[in-house]
Amino acid sequence: MKGKTVKICITSTGTSLDSNVDPRFGRCPYFIIYDTDTDTFEAINNASRQAMGGAGIQAGQLIASKNVSAVITGNFGPNAFRVLQTAGIKTYSRVSGTVKDAIEKYRNSQLTETSAPDVTSHYGVGRSN
Amino acid sequence: MIISVASGKGGTGKTTVAVSFALAARYCQFIDYDVEAPNADIFLKPDIKNIKKVSIKQPYFLTDTGNDFSKCAEFCHYNAIAVIGSEVIFYPELCHGCGGCLLVGPEGAVREKDVVVGEVAKGFTTPGIDFLKGNLIPGSMRTTTLQNELEKMLNKSGLVIIDAPPGNSCSMVMSVKNSDYCILVTEPTPYGFNDLLISMEVLEGLKVPYGVIINRDGVGDSAIEDYCTERNIRVHLKIPNDIEIAKIYSQGGTLLDYDSSYGEKFGIILKVIERISIGEADNHN
Ligand code: SF4
Repeated sequence: MKGKTVKICITSTGTSLDSNVDPRFGRCPYFIIYDTDTDTFEAINNASRQAMGGAGIQAGQLIASKNVSAVITGNFGPNAFRVLQTAGIKTYSRVSGTVKDAIEKYRNSQLTETSAPDVTSHYGVGRSN
Repeated sequence: MIISVASGKGGTGKTTVAVSFALAARYCQFIDYDVEAPNADIFLKPDIKNIKKVSIKQPYFLTDTGNDFSKCAEFCHYNAIAVIGSEVIFYPELCHGCGGCLLVGPEGAVREKDVVVGEVAKGFTTPGIDFLKGNLIPGSMRTTTLQNELEKMLNKSGLVIIDAPPGNSCSMVMSVKNSDYCILVTEPTPYGFNDLLISMEVLEGLKVPYGVIINRDGVGDSAIEDYCTERNIRVHLKIPNDIEIAKIYSQGGTLLDYDSSYGEKFGIILKVIERISIGEADNHN
């Protein structure tokens, strides 16, 4: 493994790069882990989205274990935000559109880092998708 | 017999009604289940004799031992623990105190401590009202822990009046679920109506029979009354919208201070409820 990780994570509604960025970090259906060096990616199922509570906490740990340097999503809740901060992962929120577009914006440094959680706990609970 | 008094909306006069029932009954147990903001004591003025602290078990993690705590995070069903490298983040608001992380974690490195979440106060109001309330520490999420404690002290052999917290949340359900009858207090306004419908749905789900008391009668329209008539839901009483009541209330007075005939009125409602619960009168729900 290289010294600096080149992988980023995008919350996604589907498993392809044409899927849309999902607005919820903890309860998104999929995470796209994209390697900006090799331009390859994998889509991982977010099992935490069914959690009764603390979905963002569980998801945050999963993402931290994937050795990514940044997470791109719509909104972070306070609990997930704290996990990612502790893990030293950069956080970018308020991003919408396709996953592909989000990656492009990231590459071109068009995204600004998020310094605080966007929503309160339990955001995104109770929606079906 | 347990009678709870609830309201889908705050500020409808729920406590006024609950207190009136207790004063009319004279001999009963009164329990203020609104542990986040108990206020019935302002009107019942009980002599508090006994205060019991209520605490919960909470884990803490000795991270400077250099142990790996990831097993704890994996185990915790409530996701109250996050482990990032050697750091442990603990979310007390998600912890249910099951003690599992102590068992699966590195030996001796996960400990447990008692954390006080509130207290239960017990006393009595003359002539014969046993008074009980819970006081949750501000910011604590353990509303139901305290309500469970109140539930243990319920004296089912006599009449129990429960003042439920406003709203239709989990803590409201905790307060009304054991009742033989629930009184829903509402205001004749669209907001009142809307919240009332939700409360009715909750009670129907719980299979708790209920009736309605309309407070501040005259401020809005007759939509609630029409609805209740149509569905054969009992409207036990309408309390007029009188500034004098608000004045007395703000000084810690009760409906009976406003008009002593309310003692009798509430006494009759109690008798009606009793007859409904033993099946002598129809509960039209
Ligand atoms: S005591 Fe139970 S609920 Fe609380 S952190 Fe430990 S495992 Fe989770």
